[in-house]
Formats: sequence, C-alpha cells, structure tokens
Amino acid sequence: MSRHELLSPEGLRIDGRRWNELRLFEARLSTTTAADGSSYVEWGNTKIICTVAGPVEPKMGSNRSQDGATVVVEVCFAAFSGNDRKKRARGDKRVQEMQTALQRTFSEAILTQLHPRSEILITLHILSQDGSVLAACVNACTLALVDAGVPMSDYVVACTAGSYFVRGGNNPEDEGEDPLLDMNNLEEADLPSVTVGTIGGGEKITLLQLETKVRLEKLEGMMAVALDGCGKLRELMDEIVRAHGNEVVRRIAL
Amino acid sequence: MPRELEPSTSEKTFVLEALKQKLRIDGRDFESFRGLELSFGEDYGLADVQLGKTRVLARVSAEVAKPFSDRPFDGIFQITTELGPMASPAFETGRQTEQEVLLARLIEKAIRRSGAIDTESLCIVAGQKCWQVRVDVHFLHHDGGLVDASCIAVVAALQHFRRPDVSVEGEKIIIHTLTERVPVPLSILHVPICVTYSFYHGGEISLVDATLQEEQLRDGDMTITLNKFGEVCQIAKAGGLPIGALALLQCARVALVKVQEITAFIQKRLEEDQTLRTRRDNLLESTAENPR
Repeated sequence: MSRHELLSPEGLRIDGRRWNELRLFEARLSTTTAADGSSYVEWGNTKIICTVAGPVEPKMGSNRSQDGATVVVEVCFAAFSGNDRKKRARGDKRVQEMQTALQRTFSEAILTQLHPRSEILITLHILSQDGSVLAACVNACTLALVDAGVPMSDYVVACTAGSYFVRGGNNPEDEGEDPLLDMNNLEEADLPSVTVGTIGGGEKITLLQLETKVRLEKLEGMMAVALDGCGKLRELMDEIVRAHGNEVVRRIAL
Repeated sequence: MPRELEPSTSEKTFVLEALKQKLRIDGRDFESFRGLELSFGEDYGLADVQLGKTRVLARVSAEVAKPFSDRPFDGIFQITTELGPMASPAFETGRQTEQEVLLARLIEKAIRRSGAIDTESLCIVAGQKCWQVRVDVHFLHHDGGLVDASCIAVVAALQHFRRPDVSVEGEKIIIHTLTERVPVPLSILHVPICVTYSFYHGGEISLVDATLQEEQLRDGDMTITLNKFGEVCQIAKAGGLPIGALALLQCARVALVKVQEITAFIQKRLEEDQTLRTRRDNLLESTAENPR
C-alpha cells in the first residue's frame, strides 16, 4: 500500500505514537513585541509564527463594515518550510484557499460586532511543515488572538485525523480500518486525512476539510477521533494561556 | 468593483421566515435539486448543463504535448474556469476574485485530485509525448450552485469526449483522424459529483442546491463531493456556522443518494446521445450518393 510501514504490528506509528496520541504541542505567547498579539506554535515538526494586529482602522475602505470588524488573514509559507526549497507565490490558489478558510472560521469565533469599522489582521508564517498545517494555523491564530485580547466566544481548536487500512494477513477478521489522530507529513502523503476545527472543543464543527478519497462509512470514525483530539488540544491550549497569564501578572507585580 | 445586488431587508425576512415554516421560495423541498437539464453538442466533449436558471458549458479538448519532467508517465489534465460578466454583472474579467479561486480549487480537488481521470492512460511516449486534456468551463448564467453545476458539466463532458486514436511505430507517432479510426473515450475511473449545502438559522435548516438569493442569505455552507460507490472525494467547509458532527454526517448520507441520482441521469443522457449518434452515422454510411 505504501512505501513505509505506517503502523507497526505492535500498533505503533512511524514516529512511535499510538493511534490516539497527539504529537508534542508546545506554544509560546507574546513572542513578537511589535504586534498586538503573537504566538509561536510547535506541533511535532510543524512550526508556525502568528502575529495579530488589531482591531485597527482598516487601510482599505472596502474592509470597513458598520456591522463589525473585518478579519483579514495572510498566510506565508517560508521557502525552506517543506522538503524541497520552493517559493510559493502570493497568488497561489492553495494559499488563498487557506486564507479564506481561516478568515471565515475566525469571523465566526471573534465577537466582531464589538469592533465595528475596524480590521483585525492575522499574519501567519509557516516555518516548517510536517503535516496538519491548516490545523496548526488555526491553533496558532487562536493563541495569538487571545494574546492580543481580541474578544472571542471560545478557543478555536483544530486537529486532523486519518484512516489506516489494516491488512489481516492470514485471518481476514483482523482486517479493518483504524483511525489515526494527528497526522504527520508522511502519514498525510499516503493516507486519507480530515481536518476538523471546532469552537470550544465541543462537537460542533466549524471547519471541515477533506482532500483525499475515503469511504463514507470511515468518515464518522475519523471525525469522532479528530473531535476528541480537539477536546484534548483545547485543554492544552488553555493551560498554556493560563500559564502565560500567571507569568505576566507575576512580572507586573515585581 | 461591481457588486452583486444584495437582497432587500423585506426579501431577506421573507425568505428566512418561509424557511422556518419549511418552505422555499421556488416551492422545492429542502433536499431536492432544481430541474437538471443536460445536452451535448455536435462534437464530442461539449456538455451544456442547466440547473434551474444556472447554466454552465464545459468543453473538453485534447492536444499532444510534452509531459512534465517530474511525471514522465502521466498525461496532463487541466481544468480552467473563468467567471466573466456573461454569468452575472458582478463578475469582472481579468481579476481573480476570492470566489473564483475557491470555485477553481473546489473543482480541481473534486475532479483532478480525486483521480477521476486515469492520467497514465494519456501517455503516448514516456517523457516525450502525452495527451494534454483541457476542460474549459464557461459560466453562461449565474443563479447559485455554480460548483454543483460546473462539476456535473465537467464530468459529463469528460465522459462524452473522444480523443483521436494514436499508433506508435518506433519513433513515429501517427494520430488518426476521427474519420480514419474510431476515436477512443478517456479512461474514467470514477464520476465525482458535488453537492453544496447551505445552512440557516443556526444550522437547524440545511438546503441542497441553493439559488443565488438563498446563497446570499446563508450563514454557512459546505460542499461535499462523492461518487456513486460511496467514496467521499472531498469535503470543504471553510469556516462559517458551527454545525454538529452528526448533522454533517447526515448531510453526507443524503448527498450520496443525490449523487447516485445525478450519476444515473448523466449516464442515461450519454446513452441517449450515443444511440442518436450511431443512428446518424449508420444513415450516413448507408447512402450510396457520391460526393459531388
């Protein structure tokens, strides 16, 4: 099926995780001083810097809306972020699609009506891609927005899940599909994967992206696993935000 | 930049209130498509789809080209879409709007990335010559559901298309004209069909195949692409209203039924067209008249 054995007979994945384990998720807030809010996320080997400017006065008149703030997202893939050195043009369709997805997701989560006639600019720099890039972007944006103090209804958390076909060998009963949580680059290249984004880690899905063929019956399992991952990630992100908050308060008190 | 005329406040309330009472402006129920009409042109590979008032034309053409150096065994398959002012005065030529990029990406993901066409069968001589199949999608009238309509048009045109037969003799490649040898159809692995859902009233109401007016008033949308075998080729829900996972899965299941219906409809039309063509060809061959 694939060049690599993505799941060992012992049930371990290529990077030693079990099927329901997330990669190490580490994040820091307020990494860039110039921005109103910023975050740095390392999720496995996927590394992203996110900065938020705003709410500010819109530069373009078309972004000025009486009903609420306009969210603008800019995604920049560093030329060295992938396996081959490749510069993505600004007008790249895949990048534009990502920007739109992020923009629509965050317009829903941010309480935009509190900042009419203003703009919130989110800039993402992807330093290293190792799978789940869109999901990592969502999480980085959330943390940077929290850091900027932009009012949101809840954390926006995203996670990926895939589906692995287990070959039974001699006895066909062992055959079946196993869902995998949090895909890395190698797994994403060979297996179908779905990106699920939720507001607040509940079961309501705001972002759903699937780009590879998968049987309809497998979708439910994959989504359930991804939602579970979102719940776990929300706790992790909450811990990070609270730790950062305590640190800031401690520094002010000194 | 011209903008689409937005529905007035009273229109908006009317449509949304009607939806609450389980009514749509055009009298359809929530889970049905508008009347679908599909016709083929005189030549192979021209499909004209009418979905309600939305009208999309897809034209397939093929020429011999050099394959990409990183994929010497694969032919080239391209889909181009351009929203022009013919479809709606809100579209401009030249500038690519966000809507246009999303539309192009969706169709690309649904048909090209899901491997609907076996590109290896388009190879003539590895690394040197291959077929370059192009689908040009033209939008003739925009009344919502552009993705669904153009997807149907593209897959129908691809199934209808016949490319000239080729024979390779050593270094020489001979392309036989359509009259010389029977042209060959493309090798199509599966037929993906897109179904777009629109969500209203906090996700309680989901509509299939929204009209332009309904599209303008929706709170969120999702496009799901399936084939008749029950394989999901692509799902795109780019943000918007949060919807429960179970409701989304239910949408996918309903979409599968729709996809099977549409696939059967396309198949039926293709067969009708084929019988017409055979009859006409037989008639042409059976005349004893000499060309003057």
